[in-house]
Amino acid sequence: MATGLKASMITVYRLLAFVLFLLLWWVISLVVGENLIPTPLSTLSAAQYLIGDGRIAQPLLSSLGVYCSGYALAVVVGIPIGMLMGGIRDLGRTLDIYVNALMATPRVAFIPLIILFLGLGPEAKIAVVFLGAVIPILIGTYSGILNSDAELIEMARSMGATRSQIYWRIMLPGALSFVVMGLRIGATIGLINTVVAELYTAASGLGGLLALYGNTFQMARYFVVVLALALIGGLVSQGLRMLENWASRWRVTTAGN
Amino acid sequence: MNPAPPVVVSGVSKTFQRARDRSPVEALKDVSLNLRANTFVTLLGPSGCGKTTLLRMINGLIKPDSGQVLVFGEPPKPGPRIGFVFQSFRLIPWLTVRNNVGFGLSLQGVDQGEKNDRVEYYLKLVGLSRFADVYPHELSGGMKQRAALARALVTEPEILLMDEPFASLDAQVRELMQMEMMRLWSERKSIVLFVTHSVDEAVIMADQIVLMGPRPGRIVETIDVTLPRPRWDAEIRMRRDFVELRGYLWNRIREMVMRDPSSDFYTGESDSI
Ligand SMILES: Nc1ncnc2c1ncn2[C@@H]1O[C@H](COP(=O)(O)OP(=O)(O)OP(=O)(O)O)[C@@H](O)[C@H]1O
Ligand SMILES: [Mg+2]
Repeated sequence: MATGLKASMITVYRLLAFVLFLLLWWVISLVVGENLIPTPLSTLSAAQYLIGDGRIAQPLLSSLGVYCSGYALAVVVGIPIGMLMGGIRDLGRTLDIYVNALMATPRVAFIPLIILFLGLGPEAKIAVVFLGAVIPILIGTYSGILNSDAELIEMARSMGATRSQIYWRIMLPGALSFVVMGLRIGATIGLINTVVAELYTAASGLGGLLALYGNTFQMARYFVVVLALALIGGLVSQGLRMLENWASRWRVTTAGN
Repeated sequence: MNPAPPVVVSGVSKTFQRARDRSPVEALKDVSLNLRANTFVTLLGPSGCGKTTLLRMINGLIKPDSGQVLVFGEPPKPGPRIGFVFQSFRLIPWLTVRNNVGFGLSLQGVDQGEKNDRVEYYLKLVGLSRFADVYPHELSGGMKQRAALARALVTEPEILLMDEPFASLDAQVRELMQMEMMRLWSERKSIVLFVTHSVDEAVIMADQIVLMGPRPGRIVETIDVTLPRPRWDAEIRMRRDFVELRGYLWNRIREMVMRDPSSDFYTGESDSI
Protein backbone atom coordinates (compact mmCIF):
# COMPACT_ATOMS: atom_id res chain seq x y z
CA MET A 1 0.00 0.00 0.00
CA ALA A 2 2.80 2.38 0.87
CA THR A 3 4.47 1.58 -2.45
CA GLY A 4 1.17 2.18 -4.28
CA LEU A 5 0.98 5.62 -2.73
CA LYS A 6 4.56 6.30 -3.70
CA ALA A 7 3.92 5.20 -7.29
CA SER A 8 1.01 7.60 -7.63
CA MET A 9 3.17 10.39 -6.19
CA ILE A 10 5.72 9.65 -8.91
CA THR A 11 2.98 10.04 -11.53
CA VAL A 12 2.11 13.43 -10.08
CA TYR A 13 5.78 14.47 -10.09
CA ARG A 14 6.11 13.34 -13.68
CA LEU A 15 3.16 15.49 -14.72
CA LEU A 16 4.66 18.42 -12.84
CA ALA A 17 7.99 17.88 -14.61
CA PHE A 18 6.15 17.83 -17.94
CA VAL A 19 4.43 21.12 -17.17
CA LEU A 20 7.74 22.58 -16.09
CA PHE A 21 9.32 21.40 -19.33
CA LEU A 22 6.56 23.05 -21.38
CA LEU A 23 7.03 26.27 -19.44
CA LEU A 24 10.77 26.21 -19.98
CA TRP A 25 10.28 25.53 -23.68
CA TRP A 26 7.85 28.40 -23.90
CA VAL A 27 10.17 30.83 -22.11
CA ILE A 28 13.13 29.83 -24.28
CA SER A 29 11.12 30.25 -27.45
CA LEU A 30 10.12 33.74 -26.32
CA VAL A 31 13.72 34.65 -25.48
CA VAL A 32 15.35 33.12 -28.57
CA GLY A 33 12.61 34.12 -30.96
CA GLU A 34 9.73 32.17 -32.35
CA ASN A 35 11.25 31.75 -35.79
CA LEU A 36 14.10 29.68 -34.33
CA ILE A 37 12.26 27.83 -31.60
CA PRO A 38 8.48 27.74 -31.99
CA THR A 39 6.29 27.96 -28.90
CA PRO A 40 4.58 24.83 -27.64
CA LEU A 41 1.27 26.22 -28.87
CA SER A 42 2.38 26.88 -32.43
CA THR A 43 4.00 23.43 -32.48
CA LEU A 44 0.67 21.96 -31.40
CA SER A 45 -1.21 23.76 -34.15
CA ALA A 46 1.44 22.65 -36.68
CA ALA A 47 0.90 19.09 -35.45
CA GLN A 48 -2.86 19.40 -35.86
CA TYR A 49 -2.36 20.67 -39.38
CA LEU A 50 0.15 17.94 -40.36
CA ILE A 51 -1.97 15.19 -38.89
CA GLY A 52 -5.24 16.50 -40.25
CA ASP A 53 -3.73 17.01 -43.68
CA GLY A 54 -2.40 13.45 -43.64
CA ARG A 55 1.05 14.76 -44.42
CA ILE A 56 2.77 13.01 -41.55
CA ALA A 57 1.00 9.65 -41.72
CA GLN A 58 2.74 8.38 -44.84
CA PRO A 59 6.32 9.30 -43.75
CA LEU A 60 5.58 7.91 -40.29
CA LEU A 61 4.49 4.58 -41.72
CA SER A 62 7.44 4.46 -44.05
CA SER A 63 9.89 5.12 -41.19
CA LEU A 64 8.20 2.56 -38.98
CA GLY A 65 8.35 0.04 -41.82
CA VAL A 66 12.09 0.55 -42.26
CA TYR A 67 12.72 0.53 -38.52
CA CYS A 68 10.67 -2.58 -37.76
CA SER A 69 11.99 -4.60 -40.70
CA GLY A 70 15.61 -3.75 -39.95
CA TYR A 71 15.18 -4.40 -36.24
CA ALA A 72 13.30 -7.67 -36.72
CA LEU A 73 16.01 -8.87 -39.07
CA ALA A 74 18.65 -7.91 -36.49
CA VAL A 75 16.84 -9.91 -33.78
CA VAL A 76 16.41 -12.94 -35.99
CA VAL A 77 20.07 -12.91 -37.01
CA GLY A 78 21.76 -11.51 -33.88
CA ILE A 79 20.31 -13.81 -31.24
CA PRO A 80 21.04 -17.12 -33.02
CA ILE A 81 24.59 -16.08 -33.92
CA GLY A 82 25.18 -14.97 -30.33
CA MET A 83 23.78 -18.30 -29.16
CA LEU A 84 26.08 -20.22 -31.48
CA MET A 85 29.13 -18.19 -30.46
CA GLY A 86 28.29 -18.73 -26.79
CA GLY A 87 27.55 -22.42 -27.22
CA ILE A 88 30.59 -23.31 -29.29
CA ARG A 89 33.49 -21.81 -27.38
CA ASP A 90 36.01 -22.01 -30.22
CA LEU A 91 33.62 -20.35 -32.66
CA GLY A 92 33.04 -17.56 -30.13
CA ARG A 93 36.77 -17.07 -29.54
CA THR A 94 37.41 -17.01 -33.29
CA LEU A 95 34.76 -14.44 -34.09
CA ASP A 96 34.54 -12.18 -31.09
CA ILE A 97 37.42 -9.87 -32.00
CA TYR A 98 35.78 -9.16 -35.36
CA VAL A 99 32.41 -8.55 -33.75
CA ASN A 100 34.00 -6.17 -31.26
CA ALA A 101 35.87 -4.38 -34.04
CA LEU A 102 32.58 -3.98 -35.89
CA MET A 103 30.95 -2.65 -32.72
CA ALA A 104 33.68 -0.02 -32.41
CA THR A 105 33.46 1.04 -36.07
CA PRO A 106 30.92 3.81 -36.66
CA ARG A 107 28.58 1.81 -38.82
CA VAL A 108 27.53 4.93 -40.68
CA ALA A 109 30.85 4.39 -42.45
CA PHE A 110 29.23 1.51 -44.34
CA ILE A 111 26.46 3.61 -45.86
CA PRO A 112 28.27 4.39 -49.14
CA LEU A 113 29.05 0.70 -49.54
CA ILE A 114 25.46 -0.25 -48.83
CA ILE A 115 24.21 2.28 -51.36
CA LEU A 116 26.59 0.80 -53.89
CA PHE A 117 25.13 -2.66 -53.39
CA LEU A 118 21.49 -1.98 -52.59
CA GLY A 119 20.82 1.41 -54.14
CA LEU A 120 18.87 4.18 -52.46
CA GLY A 121 15.56 2.39 -51.84
CA PRO A 122 14.09 0.79 -48.73
CA GLU A 123 16.45 -2.22 -48.91
CA ALA A 124 19.43 0.04 -48.27
CA LYS A 125 17.67 1.76 -45.38
CA ILE A 126 16.70 -1.53 -43.82
CA ALA A 127 20.32 -2.67 -44.16
CA VAL A 128 21.56 0.42 -42.30
CA VAL A 129 19.11 -0.18 -39.45
CA PHE A 130 19.97 -3.87 -39.38
CA LEU A 131 23.68 -3.19 -39.21
CA GLY A 132 23.23 -0.79 -36.32
CA ALA A 133 20.98 -3.04 -34.27
CA VAL A 134 22.43 -6.48 -34.91
CA ILE A 135 25.81 -6.03 -33.22
CA PRO A 136 24.57 -5.02 -29.74
CA ILE A 137 21.96 -7.80 -29.84
CA LEU A 138 24.58 -10.34 -30.85
CA ILE A 139 27.06 -9.15 -28.22
CA GLY A 140 24.36 -9.08 -25.53
CA THR A 141 23.43 -12.69 -26.23
CA TYR A 142 27.01 -13.86 -26.49
CA SER A 143 28.27 -12.14 -23.36
CA GLY A 144 25.18 -13.26 -21.42
CA ILE A 145 26.10 -16.86 -22.15
CA LEU A 146 29.77 -16.27 -21.35
CA ASN A 147 28.75 -14.76 -18.02
CA SER A 148 26.79 -17.77 -16.92
CA ASP A 149 27.13 -18.83 -13.32
CA ALA A 150 29.96 -21.37 -12.96
CA GLU A 151 28.53 -22.58 -9.65
CA LEU A 152 25.17 -23.39 -11.20
CA ILE A 153 26.89 -25.18 -14.06
CA GLU A 154 28.86 -27.30 -11.63
CA MET A 155 25.67 -28.04 -9.69
CA ALA A 156 23.96 -29.22 -12.87
CA ARG A 157 27.01 -31.28 -13.81
CA SER A 158 27.02 -32.92 -10.39
CA MET A 159 23.47 -34.08 -11.10
CA GLY A 160 24.50 -35.65 -14.37
CA ALA A 161 23.32 -32.93 -16.78
CA THR A 162 24.62 -33.34 -20.32
CA ARG A 163 26.36 -30.46 -22.09
CA SER A 164 23.26 -29.61 -24.04
CA GLN A 165 21.08 -29.73 -20.93
CA ILE A 166 23.49 -27.33 -19.24
CA TYR A 167 23.34 -25.02 -22.25
CA TRP A 168 19.54 -24.94 -22.57
CA ARG A 169 18.60 -25.06 -18.90
CA ILE A 170 21.34 -23.05 -17.19
CA MET A 171 23.39 -20.95 -19.59
CA LEU A 172 20.66 -19.68 -21.90
CA PRO A 173 18.02 -18.76 -19.28
CA GLY A 174 20.78 -17.12 -17.25
CA ALA A 175 21.68 -15.00 -20.27
CA LEU A 176 18.17 -13.62 -20.70
CA SER A 177 18.71 -10.29 -18.96
CA PHE A 178 21.81 -9.66 -21.10
CA VAL A 179 19.83 -10.50 -24.23
CA VAL A 180 17.16 -7.98 -23.27
CA MET A 181 19.83 -5.38 -22.60
CA GLY A 182 21.21 -6.00 -26.09
CA LEU A 183 17.69 -5.66 -27.48
CA ARG A 184 17.30 -2.28 -25.81
CA ILE A 185 20.59 -0.91 -27.05
CA GLY A 186 19.85 -2.33 -30.49
CA ALA A 187 16.45 -0.64 -30.53
CA THR A 188 17.97 2.74 -29.73
CA ILE A 189 20.73 2.48 -32.31
CA GLY A 190 18.20 1.13 -34.82
CA LEU A 191 16.03 4.21 -34.45
CA ILE A 192 19.01 6.52 -34.83
CA ASN A 193 20.07 4.63 -37.93
CA THR A 194 16.57 4.84 -39.38
CA VAL A 195 16.83 8.62 -39.42
CA VAL A 196 20.45 8.55 -40.58
CA ALA A 197 19.53 6.23 -43.45
CA GLU A 198 16.64 8.47 -44.48
CA LEU A 199 18.91 11.47 -44.50
CA TYR A 200 21.78 9.83 -46.39
CA THR A 201 19.95 7.73 -48.97
CA ALA A 202 16.88 8.87 -50.91
CA ALA A 203 15.23 11.25 -48.46
CA SER A 204 12.00 9.76 -47.19
CA GLY A 205 10.09 9.07 -44.00
CA LEU A 206 10.46 11.17 -40.88
CA GLY A 207 14.15 11.72 -41.61
CA GLY A 208 13.20 13.16 -44.99
CA LEU A 209 10.68 15.50 -43.37
CA LEU A 210 13.34 16.61 -40.84
CA ALA A 211 15.62 17.60 -43.70
CA LEU A 212 12.82 19.28 -45.62
CA TYR A 213 11.46 21.38 -42.75
CA GLY A 214 14.88 22.03 -41.25
CA ASN A 215 16.35 23.31 -44.49
CA THR A 216 13.37 25.54 -45.18
CA PHE A 217 13.16 26.91 -41.66
CA GLN A 218 9.64 25.63 -41.00
CA MET A 219 10.56 25.20 -37.38
CA ALA A 220 7.13 24.41 -35.94
CA ARG A 221 6.68 21.52 -38.37
CA TYR A 222 10.28 20.46 -37.79
CA PHE A 223 9.55 20.23 -34.07
CA VAL A 224 6.50 18.08 -34.73
CA VAL A 225 8.72 15.53 -36.51
CA VAL A 226 11.27 15.60 -33.68
CA LEU A 227 8.50 14.97 -31.17
CA ALA A 228 7.12 12.11 -33.27
CA LEU A 229 10.56 10.48 -33.22
CA ALA A 230 10.81 11.00 -29.46
CA LEU A 231 7.39 9.38 -29.08
CA ILE A 232 8.45 6.31 -31.07
CA GLY A 233 11.63 6.03 -29.04
CA GLY A 234 9.68 6.35 -25.80
CA LEU A 235 7.10 3.73 -26.78
CA VAL A 236 9.72 1.25 -27.94
CA SER A 237 11.80 1.58 -24.79
CA GLN A 238 8.69 1.28 -22.63
CA GLY A 239 7.76 -1.93 -24.44
CA LEU A 240 11.24 -3.32 -23.92
CA ARG A 241 11.14 -2.35 -20.28
CA MET A 242 8.05 -4.49 -19.93
CA LEU A 243 9.94 -7.33 -21.58
CA GLU A 244 12.77 -6.75 -19.12
CA ASN A 245 10.40 -6.91 -16.16
CA TRP A 246 8.99 -10.14 -17.49
CA ALA A 247 12.47 -11.59 -17.97
CA SER A 248 13.45 -10.78 -14.40
CA ARG A 249 10.11 -11.52 -12.74
CA TRP A 250 11.81 -14.05 -10.46
CA ARG A 251 13.83 -11.23 -8.91
CA VAL A 252 10.72 -9.36 -7.87
CA THR A 253 8.85 -10.37 -4.77
CA THR A 254 5.41 -11.69 -5.73
CA ALA A 255 2.49 -10.07 -4.01
CA GLY A 256 0.65 -11.94 -1.27
CA ASN A 257 2.08 -14.84 0.72
CA MET B 1 35.35 -62.55 1.95
CA ASN B 2 33.38 -59.39 2.66
CA PRO B 3 31.94 -57.60 -0.34
CA ALA B 4 33.81 -54.41 -1.29
CA PRO B 5 32.50 -51.25 0.40
CA PRO B 6 30.29 -49.06 -1.83
CA VAL B 7 32.90 -46.30 -1.99
CA VAL B 8 36.58 -47.14 -2.24
CA VAL B 9 39.17 -44.41 -2.56
CA SER B 10 42.61 -45.89 -2.89
CA GLY B 11 45.92 -44.06 -3.05
CA VAL B 12 44.44 -41.03 -4.75
CA SER B 13 46.54 -37.97 -5.57
CA LYS B 14 45.56 -34.76 -7.29
CA THR B 15 47.75 -31.79 -8.11
CA PHE B 16 46.34 -28.56 -9.51
CA GLN B 17 48.52 -26.59 -11.90
CA ARG B 18 48.22 -22.88 -11.40
CA ALA B 19 48.84 -19.78 -13.46
CA ARG B 20 52.49 -18.96 -14.36
CA ASP B 21 55.05 -18.52 -11.62
CA ARG B 22 52.82 -19.93 -8.93
CA SER B 23 53.76 -23.38 -7.76
CA PRO B 24 51.31 -26.27 -8.30
CA VAL B 25 49.13 -27.32 -5.34
CA GLU B 26 49.05 -30.86 -4.09
CA ALA B 27 45.37 -30.85 -3.17
CA LEU B 28 45.37 -34.54 -2.28
CA LYS B 29 48.26 -36.89 -1.72
CA ASP B 30 47.89 -40.65 -1.40
CA VAL B 31 44.42 -40.53 0.11
CA SER B 32 42.70 -43.81 0.88
CA LEU B 33 39.23 -44.07 2.36
CA ASN B 34 36.43 -46.60 2.38
CA LEU B 35 32.84 -45.68 3.03
CA ARG B 36 30.61 -48.41 4.38
CA ALA B 37 26.92 -48.66 3.62
CA ASN B 38 24.55 -46.58 5.78
CA THR B 39 27.25 -44.64 7.57
CA PHE B 40 27.33 -40.95 8.31
CA VAL B 41 30.90 -39.77 7.85
CA THR B 42 32.07 -36.25 8.62
CA LEU B 43 35.15 -34.82 7.01
CA LEU B 44 36.98 -32.36 9.21
CA GLY B 45 40.09 -30.36 8.51
CA PRO B 46 41.58 -26.90 8.11
CA SER B 47 40.94 -24.78 5.04
CA GLY B 48 42.64 -25.90 1.87
CA CYS B 49 43.26 -29.52 2.86
CA GLY B 50 41.38 -30.90 -0.11
CA LYS B 51 37.95 -31.70 1.35
CA THR B 52 36.01 -30.24 -1.56
CA THR B 53 38.41 -31.84 -4.02
CA LEU B 54 37.78 -35.24 -2.47
CA LEU B 55 34.02 -34.76 -2.70
CA ARG B 56 34.17 -33.68 -6.32
CA MET B 57 36.25 -36.72 -7.06
CA ILE B 58 33.81 -39.14 -5.45
CA ASN B 59 31.01 -37.47 -7.41
CA GLY B 60 33.00 -37.93 -10.61
CA LEU B 61 33.27 -34.22 -11.39
CA ILE B 62 37.07 -34.53 -11.51
CA LYS B 63 39.41 -37.46 -12.04
CA PRO B 64 42.40 -38.36 -9.85
CA ASP B 65 45.92 -37.95 -11.30
CA SER B 66 46.84 -41.29 -9.81
CA GLY B 67 45.15 -43.87 -7.64
CA GLN B 68 41.58 -44.95 -8.07
CA VAL B 69 38.08 -44.09 -6.95
CA LEU B 70 35.44 -46.79 -7.21
CA VAL B 71 31.79 -46.21 -6.44
CA PHE B 72 29.69 -49.36 -6.58
CA GLY B 73 32.68 -51.00 -8.22
CA GLU B 74 33.08 -48.49 -11.06
CA PRO B 75 34.72 -45.12 -11.60
CA PRO B 76 32.04 -42.60 -10.56
CA LYS B 77 29.89 -40.66 -13.02
CA PRO B 78 27.89 -37.63 -11.84
CA GLY B 79 24.23 -38.53 -11.72
CA PRO B 80 21.18 -39.29 -9.64
CA ARG B 81 22.84 -42.00 -7.51
CA ILE B 82 25.28 -39.51 -5.97
CA GLY B 83 23.73 -36.36 -4.50
CA PHE B 84 25.71 -33.18 -3.88
CA VAL B 85 24.76 -30.35 -1.52
CA PHE B 86 26.80 -27.15 -1.66
CA GLN B 87 27.49 -24.48 0.92
CA SER B 88 26.16 -21.72 -1.31
CA PHE B 89 22.85 -23.55 -1.99
CA ARG B 90 23.13 -23.07 -5.76
CA LEU B 91 19.42 -22.91 -6.34
CA ILE B 92 18.46 -21.83 -9.86
CA PRO B 93 17.10 -18.31 -9.30
CA TRP B 94 14.60 -18.29 -12.18
CA LEU B 95 12.93 -21.55 -11.15
CA THR B 96 10.40 -21.87 -8.35
CA VAL B 97 11.26 -23.99 -5.34
CA ARG B 98 9.17 -26.80 -6.82
CA ASN B 99 11.05 -26.75 -10.10
CA ASN B 100 14.38 -26.47 -8.36
CA VAL B 101 13.62 -29.56 -6.34
CA GLY B 102 12.46 -31.35 -9.48
CA PHE B 103 15.53 -30.31 -11.47
CA GLY B 104 17.37 -33.63 -11.22
CA LEU B 105 14.28 -35.59 -12.16
CA SER B 106 13.62 -33.41 -15.18
CA LEU B 107 17.22 -33.95 -16.31
CA GLN B 108 16.56 -37.67 -16.28
CA GLY B 109 13.27 -37.25 -18.09
CA VAL B 110 11.19 -38.80 -15.31
CA ASP B 111 7.55 -38.49 -16.33
CA GLN B 112 5.52 -35.58 -15.07
CA GLY B 113 3.20 -37.48 -12.74
CA GLU B 114 5.91 -39.35 -10.92
CA LYS B 115 8.05 -36.24 -10.77
CA ASN B 116 5.26 -34.23 -9.16
CA ASP B 117 4.62 -36.91 -6.56
CA ARG B 118 8.24 -37.19 -5.60
CA VAL B 119 8.80 -33.44 -5.48
CA GLU B 120 5.69 -33.07 -3.33
CA TYR B 121 6.93 -35.78 -0.98
CA TYR B 122 10.37 -34.30 -0.49
CA LEU B 123 9.07 -30.76 -0.16
CA LYS B 124 6.90 -32.02 2.65
CA LEU B 125 9.78 -33.93 4.20
CA VAL B 126 11.88 -30.77 4.50
CA GLY B 127 8.86 -28.67 5.48
CA LEU B 128 8.69 -26.47 2.39
CA SER B 129 5.31 -27.44 0.94
CA ARG B 130 3.92 -23.98 1.61
CA PHE B 131 6.75 -22.39 -0.33
CA ALA B 132 6.64 -24.62 -3.39
CA ASP B 133 5.72 -21.82 -5.76
CA VAL B 134 8.00 -19.03 -4.64
CA TYR B 135 11.35 -18.12 -6.12
CA PRO B 136 14.54 -18.84 -4.15
CA HIS B 137 15.34 -15.19 -3.39
CA GLU B 138 12.23 -15.03 -1.23
CA LEU B 139 13.50 -17.79 1.08
CA SER B 140 15.58 -17.44 4.23
CA GLY B 141 19.00 -19.08 4.35
CA GLY B 142 17.72 -22.11 6.25
CA MET B 143 14.86 -22.57 3.80
CA LYS B 144 17.21 -22.29 0.84
CA GLN B 145 19.39 -25.01 2.26
CA ARG B 146 16.37 -27.21 2.91
CA ALA B 147 15.31 -26.71 -0.71
CA ALA B 148 18.81 -27.66 -1.86
CA LEU B 149 18.67 -30.71 0.39
CA ALA B 150 15.31 -31.74 -1.06
CA ARG B 151 16.75 -31.32 -4.56
CA ALA B 152 19.58 -33.70 -3.68
CA LEU B 153 17.29 -36.20 -1.94
CA VAL B 154 14.61 -36.32 -4.62
CA THR B 155 16.62 -38.65 -6.85
CA GLU B 156 17.03 -40.92 -3.81
CA PRO B 157 20.81 -41.11 -4.02
CA GLU B 158 22.68 -43.90 -2.32
CA ILE B 159 25.49 -41.51 -1.55
CA LEU B 160 25.02 -37.95 -0.36
CA LEU B 161 27.98 -35.58 -0.50
CA MET B 162 27.54 -32.44 1.54
CA ASP B 163 30.13 -29.66 1.33
CA GLU B 164 29.83 -27.43 4.40
CA PRO B 165 26.09 -27.32 3.86
CA PHE B 166 25.28 -25.37 7.01
CA ALA B 167 28.29 -23.06 7.11
CA SER B 168 26.44 -19.98 5.92
CA LEU B 169 23.56 -20.37 8.37
CA ASP B 170 23.39 -18.63 11.72
CA ALA B 171 24.09 -20.65 14.84
CA GLN B 172 20.49 -21.46 15.82
CA VAL B 173 19.30 -22.37 12.34
CA ARG B 174 22.43 -24.41 11.96
CA GLU B 175 21.68 -26.53 15.02
CA LEU B 176 18.10 -27.02 13.90
CA MET B 177 19.33 -28.11 10.49
CA GLN B 178 21.70 -30.60 12.12
CA MET B 179 18.76 -32.17 13.95
CA GLU B 180 16.71 -32.10 10.77
CA MET B 181 19.48 -33.81 8.83
CA MET B 182 19.84 -36.54 11.45
CA ARG B 183 16.10 -37.10 11.44
CA LEU B 184 16.04 -37.41 7.64
CA TRP B 185 19.00 -39.72 7.67
CA SER B 186 17.59 -41.98 10.35
CA GLU B 187 14.38 -42.31 8.32
CA ARG B 188 16.16 -43.22 5.15
CA LYS B 189 19.74 -44.29 5.61
CA SER B 190 22.39 -43.80 2.99
CA ILE B 191 26.06 -43.02 2.87
CA VAL B 192 26.60 -39.40 3.84
CA LEU B 193 29.96 -37.70 3.50
CA PHE B 194 29.60 -34.39 5.26
CA VAL B 195 32.30 -31.72 5.21
CA THR B 196 32.43 -29.27 8.08
CA HIS B 197 34.77 -26.87 9.82
CA SER B 198 32.87 -27.21 13.04
CA VAL B 199 34.21 -29.76 15.49
CA ASP B 200 30.88 -29.88 17.33
CA GLU B 201 29.00 -30.54 14.14
CA ALA B 202 31.47 -33.23 13.12
CA VAL B 203 31.07 -35.09 16.40
CA ILE B 204 27.35 -34.75 16.86
CA MET B 205 26.42 -36.08 13.42
CA ALA B 206 29.02 -38.74 12.73
CA ASP B 207 29.41 -42.48 12.86
CA GLN B 208 32.93 -41.84 11.72
CA ILE B 209 35.12 -38.75 11.61
CA VAL B 210 37.80 -38.40 8.97
CA LEU B 211 40.38 -35.84 9.97
CA MET B 212 42.38 -34.29 7.14
CA GLY B 213 45.52 -32.18 7.11
CA PRO B 214 46.82 -29.60 4.63
CA ARG B 215 49.76 -29.26 2.22
CA PRO B 216 49.69 -31.83 0.91
CA GLY B 217 46.04 -32.68 1.53
CA ARG B 218 45.93 -36.05 3.28
CA ILE B 219 43.98 -38.09 5.79
CA VAL B 220 45.52 -37.79 9.23
CA GLU B 221 43.24 -39.96 11.29
CA THR B 222 39.93 -41.78 11.19
CA ILE B 223 37.88 -41.98 14.37
CA ASP B 224 34.74 -44.04 15.03
CA VAL B 225 32.15 -42.21 17.09
CA THR B 226 30.28 -44.45 19.46
CA LEU B 227 27.92 -41.92 21.04
CA PRO B 228 24.41 -43.41 21.21
CA ARG B 229 21.72 -42.26 18.80
CA PRO B 230 19.41 -40.46 18.58
CA ARG B 231 21.39 -37.42 19.57
CA TRP B 232 18.78 -34.72 19.54
CA ASP B 233 18.76 -33.82 23.21
CA ALA B 234 21.14 -31.23 24.50
CA GLU B 235 22.52 -33.62 27.16
CA ILE B 236 24.60 -35.33 24.53
CA ARG B 237 26.89 -32.33 24.47
CA MET B 238 27.57 -32.74 28.17
CA ARG B 239 28.60 -36.37 28.06
CA ARG B 240 32.16 -36.99 29.01
CA ASP B 241 33.06 -38.91 25.85
CA PHE B 242 31.61 -36.09 23.72
CA VAL B 243 33.63 -33.45 25.54
CA GLU B 244 36.83 -35.48 25.38
CA LEU B 245 36.54 -36.24 21.69
CA ARG B 246 35.77 -32.63 20.98
CA GLY B 247 38.80 -31.46 22.96
CA TYR B 248 41.04 -33.96 21.24
CA LEU B 249 39.92 -32.89 17.75
CA TRP B 250 40.35 -29.23 18.64
CA ASN B 251 43.93 -29.81 19.65
CA ARG B 252 44.76 -31.79 16.54
CA ILE B 253 43.38 -29.09 14.27
CA ARG B 254 45.06 -26.31 16.20
CA GLU B 255 48.42 -28.07 15.90
CA MET B 256 47.98 -28.53 12.17
CA VAL B 257 47.04 -24.93 11.61
CA MET B 258 49.89 -23.54 13.67
CA ARG B 259 52.46 -25.73 11.92
CA ASP B 260 51.21 -24.80 8.47
CA PRO B 261 53.52 -22.09 7.10
CA SER B 262 50.81 -20.76 4.82
CA SER B 263 48.15 -20.32 7.49
CA ASP B 264 47.49 -17.06 9.28
CA PHE B 265 48.30 -18.65 12.62
CA TYR B 266 51.74 -20.04 11.78
CA THR B 267 53.96 -19.88 14.85
CA GLY B 268 57.15 -21.44 13.50
CA GLU B 269 58.45 -24.98 13.77
CA SER B 270 58.63 -25.24 17.53
CA ASP B 271 55.25 -25.39 19.14
CA SER B 272 55.70 -23.84 22.49
CA ILE B 273 52.18 -22.75 23.31
N1 LIG C 1 40.27 -26.02 -9.72
C1 LIG C 1 41.36 -25.71 -8.99
N2 LIG C 1 42.42 -25.11 -9.56
C2 LIG C 1 43.50 -24.80 -8.83
N3 LIG C 1 43.64 -25.07 -7.52
C3 LIG C 1 42.62 -25.66 -6.89
C4 LIG C 1 41.42 -26.01 -7.59
N4 LIG C 1 40.57 -26.60 -6.71
C5 LIG C 1 41.22 -26.59 -5.53
N5 LIG C 1 42.44 -26.05 -5.63
C6 LIG C 1 43.44 -25.93 -4.55
O1 LIG C 1 43.55 -27.17 -3.92
C7 LIG C 1 43.62 -27.04 -2.51
C8 LIG C 1 42.50 -27.81 -1.88
O2 LIG C 1 41.27 -27.21 -2.24
P1 LIG C 1 39.87 -27.66 -1.66
O3 LIG C 1 38.88 -26.70 -2.19
O4 LIG C 1 39.67 -29.09 -1.94
O5 LIG C 1 40.09 -27.42 -0.10
P2 LIG C 1 39.03 -27.49 1.08
O6 LIG C 1 39.57 -28.41 2.09
O7 LIG C 1 37.67 -27.75 0.54
O8 LIG C 1 39.12 -26.01 1.65
P3 LIG C 1 37.97 -25.14 2.35
O9 LIG C 1 37.81 -25.70 3.71
O10 LIG C 1 38.54 -23.77 2.38
O11 LIG C 1 36.75 -25.27 1.50
C9 LIG C 1 43.55 -25.56 -2.22
O12 LIG C 1 44.86 -25.09 -1.99
C10 LIG C 1 42.98 -24.97 -3.47
O13 LIG C 1 43.50 -23.68 -3.69
MG1 LIG D 1 35.88 -26.63 0.40
